[in-house]
Amino acid sequence: MAGASAADVRSILSLPSPSTPGPSQPKAKVLGTSERARKPEGISRELYSLIGPSAPTLAAQLAKPRLKQKPNLGGGGRVKWEWQTFKNAGRTDDLRLSHWAKTGTDPEAEYPFAKYNVQPTSYVYSQDEYSRFLEDKEWTREETDYLFELVREYDQRFYIVGDRYDYPGGSPRTLEDLKDRYYSVCRKLVRNRPWAGDEASKAQLISSFQFDKDREATRKKYVACLENRTKAQIAEEDALYVELKRLEQTERRFKKNRDELLRTLLGVESGLPDIPVEDEAPLNGSGLHVDTKDIKKNKRKGTHEVETPISATPYSANVISLGQPVPRKAQSAKSAAYDALHCIIRTEAPQTTSNKAAHTPVYLRGLKLPAPKSAVAAKIAQILGELGISHTRLVMPTKENCAQLESLIEAAAALVETKKCVDKVEQDIRIAKMRLSSQANEGEEDAAGTPSGMDVDEDAEGVEDEMEDGRAPSVVSTRSTRSIKGYKQVRSLRLHLLSAMLTSNSHDDPQYPLSTPLQPGLFQSVENGRTIAGSYLCILSSCSVFSPISGMLLLRKFYVYRHKISSTYHATAIVLCSERTDGVHDSSRFLIDIIISCISG
Amino acid sequence: MVNYGGDEVSALVLDIGTSTVRAGYAGDDTPKAIIPTSYGFKKDASAEEDVSMTEPGEEGDASPKPSPKVTMYVGNNGPTVWREGMEVAHPVRDGLIQDFGPIPALASYAFRDVMRCDPTEHPLLVTEPAWNTASNRERMAEIMFEDFGVPAFYIANTGVLNAFAAGKGSALVIDIGHDTASVTPVIDGFVLRKGLAHSALPQLVRAHAHHLLTSSNSSRPGIQLLPHQLIANKQAVDAGVPPRFTLRADRQAGTTESWRKWYEDREVEEWIQAVAGVLDQGWNEQAAAQRGARHYEFATGYNYYFGSERFSVGEQFFTHSPQLVASNPNLPKSIPALITQSLSACDPDIRQVLMGNVVLTGGGSLFAGLSERLSNELSRNFAHVKIHAPGNPTERRYGGWLGGSILASLGTFHQLWISKEEWQEHGSKIVAQRCK
Repeated sequence: MAGASAADVRSILSLPSPSTPGPSQPKAKVLGTSERARKPEGISRELYSLIGPSAPTLAAQLAKPRLKQKPNLGGGGRVKWEWQTFKNAGRTDDLRLSHWAKTGTDPEAEYPFAKYNVQPTSYVYSQDEYSRFLEDKEWTREETDYLFELVREYDQRFYIVGDRYDYPGGSPRTLEDLKDRYYSVCRKLVRNRPWAGDEASKAQLISSFQFDKDREATRKKYVACLENRTKAQIAEEDALYVELKRLEQTERRFKKNRDELLRTLLGVESGLPDIPVEDEAPLNGSGLHVDTKDIKKNKRKGTHEVETPISATPYSANVISLGQPVPRKAQSAKSAAYDALHCIIRTEAPQTTSNKAAHTPVYLRGLKLPAPKSAVAAKIAQILGELGISHTRLVMPTKENCAQLESLIEAAAALVETKKCVDKVEQDIRIAKMRLSSQANEGEEDAAGTPSGMDVDEDAEGVEDEMEDGRAPSVVSTRSTRSIKGYKQVRSLRLHLLSAMLTSNSHDDPQYPLSTPLQPGLFQSVENGRTIAGSYLCILSSCSVFSPISGMLLLRKFYVYRHKISSTYHATAIVLCSERTDGVHDSSRFLIDIIISCISG
Repeated sequence: MVNYGGDEVSALVLDIGTSTVRAGYAGDDTPKAIIPTSYGFKKDASAEEDVSMTEPGEEGDASPKPSPKVTMYVGNNGPTVWREGMEVAHPVRDGLIQDFGPIPALASYAFRDVMRCDPTEHPLLVTEPAWNTASNRERMAEIMFEDFGVPAFYIANTGVLNAFAAGKGSALVIDIGHDTASVTPVIDGFVLRKGLAHSALPQLVRAHAHHLLTSSNSSRPGIQLLPHQLIANKQAVDAGVPPRFTLRADRQAGTTESWRKWYEDREVEEWIQAVAGVLDQGWNEQAAAQRGARHYEFATGYNYYFGSERFSVGEQFFTHSPQLVASNPNLPKSIPALITQSLSACDPDIRQVLMGNVVLTGGGSLFAGLSERLSNELSRNFAHVKIHAPGNPTERRYGGWLGGSILASLGTFHQLWISKEEWQEHGSKIVAQRCK
């Protein structure tokens, strides 16, 4: 406030307000005494006159704070203490000790610590009970009494009881002996005495007295053994433990790495790591012309992609389209019989990129359907789609069905590959023919000479002969393993096919190219008939385009061995042929007819 | 009152140790009276001239020996003061009271002269070592009831009391006193007597130190351990230089052999407390040399920097050299040996409990580096060791008294007192019944 007004002075001095208010106090009259009377406590008059009665909440807050009451530390009524004797109910005599107590405390009142004097329940037995239930040849009545007295005295602290136990003339007792005796006596007493409560509580009480002496002794022996280990033993145990942990960790890391690798490369979920690694050396040796360098390279790269041996034809690299035959491990007759007896079907582990044979965990066959190579997957899918077959899902993925599907896909892939080759060859031929015709136009007079095309063919023949004489028979004769033999026959078949394609185009000579590969004996010796048939179909399909006669011959052979060919191949054959219906040769239609008749017949 | 369990009845606690007698009120944290247990006495027909001396707490024939006339000098001005022809005797041997003759004088000096209290008004708790004999405790009870007229009496075990002072009911109490080192397994406030192990190890340590000081070695001559009372004057000399002092010729004749021996012992003890130590990782000449030398001056003025030899003293607590073992078949057992002996006598189940509650106590345990060394030794041999060693020297030295102070001020304890009435009614056998 800037300064006290006259009204303030009057108010302070409790003077009555003037009858005529000054100009400075126009409202003095308005603020009646009733207003002032309502001035709440704890707010100064000056402040109240400023804020007026309009802020009651504020006024309430401004009320004089009520502090917490100060603790009355005996300030008012002084507490007197006096040295007082007391009686302890825990004592049997009447020793009167003294302590400081508040005046007025009854000296005869119960001593507050007497309530802690709790006596444990102890079992006593009569002579009658003892002779009826508690007889034990190890224990006399007197010693049992002594034991019970000690247990009572030391409040069932058996370690102390065992320490203090010294029955004169008695045999030395272990802690287990004492416990066993005590608890067995208690059990017997509870069991044989009339029980006021229910059975459950009785059983509970008895179980609380349960003591298995032998077990306890054994346990203690173990504890002692554990403690009696020498430092070296403890160190060794620690070291072993650390070693174990380390091994576990290494194994886990190895497994993780391997799984990761497999997932990255194959998408194969691998299983346990501790499957012995299979030696796959035979696979490496399966190639015809694989030299040691190649073997090394293959080993490093992984064995699944066995390269076709480099041959005279420049196209060989493109023709490897058939899935390689799965080499079957030689199975002893005994185990085969055993398998047959127990309906065991041994599946071959799928080829993996890894050099180590991964253990294949159990899987559902339906989940591991063969998939075409990604490069040709779209075309194969198209082919299969035309057939109305879904290669991603089989209704009934039995072993046979899966195998058939696999063969189908292989065959389809082979078809695609072959078609690619054929297109290329056709293109080359077309170019060559154009060149030839232009040459012919240039020099008509030179017609007496051998056509250059013949020369080319002669070269091809030479290659063919060389292959036939030098390679294929030797393979058949020297290699004894059936699977390898079969595989190699297929391979040679393919080579023949290749040369056949070349020669048949220029010569149209049906006898020449196909006579050798289609020897029945060769076929019969082949174990894997389906694969052969698949190749056969490829040959058929490719040949049928440009050489109807050789195609027909092929078809005849095909027909001869059709019992080896499953129905999927029939379907494939139709597809193959139908694909060729847009070709210029009428023989294509003829072929289809024959195939259909084959299938139906 | 009930909340913290205390109810003080102004009991007295008397703890008679080998070195000192401690007395005080229960509920206090330090004893009020700490006096030496040793006492001086003169066998003399004309003893009257010494009685006129005012300073000793002279207690005439309170409990006289069968000798004709003995003047006793007990208390803080007792044996420490040179008197002509005064012998020094020690009532406690091996922790046990061997000679009850001076006990009333000592107790009376503590109660009446130091504490200025009347023992007939206060219950009295006395301590005893765990290996105390039944006759000894009965004798003690008899003295207290008959001579002092205490209204109630209790005798408690120092091992248990040390555990209580550490706040533990179960503990392995390693008590290294002035003369005796003991290992006491305590379970639930009871001593496992079979696991008790004690030896006169501190005596061996002192003897070793005594031998070390008095025998000459390559760097210094043997040291004379003369008490300052016998030295008239001395001159300050440099370290290692032979001392220059003159003896008090007048006291030469009147000095008894026992007093001189007692004082030599004190000199050695002081040297040990000031200089000696123990390495925390076992004996290692290099480590000992690295710790540096420590200076000490004897009463003669001879002073010297003690190097690695000061650590060889403490090694006696833990290991004994093979030649010492060979030459002395009754060698006191080292602390690790005591612990092993004690634990092997205990049930395998409670060993773990005990090793988790090791209480290190006693004035001798204040030996420099001993608790660290012990901790290292134990943790090397046992899996889960926890050592409770109070940092406060008073608690360490008077742990037994402190435990008695706690026990005697507990409300629940008051029913255990042996009252005078019971004593008169049942006689001495009540002691064994009550004090388990």
